[in-house]
Amino acid sequence: MSTQSPARLKERRTGELCDAVLLDGLGKEEIEAVEGVWRPFLEAELARLEAEGVSKAKWPQHRGWDWRKKQKAIDGLLAYRIFGIACASQMQGLMLVATAGKSARIQSQRGRPLIYIHFLATAPWNSPLVVAEPKYSLVGSVLMAAAIQLSLDEEFAGRVGLHSLPQADDWYRRCGMTDLGPDPSEKQNLRYFEMTPEQAQAFLN
Amino acid sequence: MKLNLSNAWLAKRAAEEEGHEVSTGRTDMDALLADTKIVEPSPHVFAEASNAHVVAAEIEGPRTAFRMLIHLWRRKKGIRLDQLAKRADVDLAELIAIEQDVRYVPEPRTVYQLAHTLGVPTDRMLQLSGNTVVRDSHFGEEAVRFAARAESVEKLTKDEQQALEEFVKYLSEA
Repeated sequence: MSTQSPARLKERRTGELCDAVLLDGLGKEEIEAVEGVWRPFLEAELARLEAEGVSKAKWPQHRGWDWRKKQKAIDGLLAYRIFGIACASQMQGLMLVATAGKSARIQSQRGRPLIYIHFLATAPWNSPLVVAEPKYSLVGSVLMAAAIQLSLDEEFAGRVGLHSLPQADDWYRRCGMTDLGPDPSEKQNLRYFEMTPEQAQAFLN
Repeated sequence: MKLNLSNAWLAKRAAEEEGHEVSTGRTDMDALLADTKIVEPSPHVFAEASNAHVVAAEIEGPRTAFRMLIHLWRRKKGIRLDQLAKRADVDLAELIAIEQDVRYVPEPRTVYQLAHTLGVPTDRMLQLSGNTVVRDSHFGEEAVRFAARAESVEKLTKDEQQALEEFVKYLSEA
């Protein structure tokens, strides 16, 4: 059973901040419900992009994700959690993190524990790669703030790490994370980003 | 979890985020599955098991070894549960649960604190405690052998003392 905390997102059409709920510890049934809404929407939009002749290079690189499989992989493991942010009765974003087993690579923090973000996704209607006019912004920011807060709660001092998809590299630099470049141990050649305690405080301020 | 996000912060972050893709993570699940994969014990562990105690230890997995490691280390040092809780800065109730309930999975912070106090690597302790999975079958087998040797009796037997010393040495060198 997930726990809830208040949060807010920005509705792009009106520019207004809307009440949202940050959910911690999403389980099988909640994830299945999300996929049941996200997948048909995404499939319809991908069909539209194809019909419009949009190059697949511009399609979202994470379009093949199935959160049900991700949830199944971590089911029963205490060190893995799925967060979600819900607004207007719909899940607007999801994040899967590991709270153990990963450590910092930045020289000044090397070897110290961190929160590792395995996956972070907005609902397809919030992605500028999927729709021309995304519905809500701040999904990524609030989930990143949650990852940092979790790191603080676990006494990891705000340290967070992740491997970024190329389409999102720029945003993680904008979060103030250090770009450690392509990870040689990463077969997809993804860039590894890390947030120090100082960068985490800067992000939250 | 409580987030204190002011309107000014939300406005600033919205300006940074809008127009940017934020979804991230590997396109496949290989890394996640590798991290969460449970290594099956090799058949010879069962072949060596000549009594029910060893088989039970294998079934319970490394958590038995974790529980016994804490228990024996404490007895070897001659300190009570509350003294260890204070020294490691962990909750006494959680420490009791660790020693008495093999199904109990402690919080990662507790494991870090105990690893630091015992002077053994945190990644191995996280695997033993059930926070992460055992990826190394040899490690899993060593944990089972240790658990099988460590009977819970009042006084640390010579064999238990030797088992404890050998396992701590193995953890530190692995």
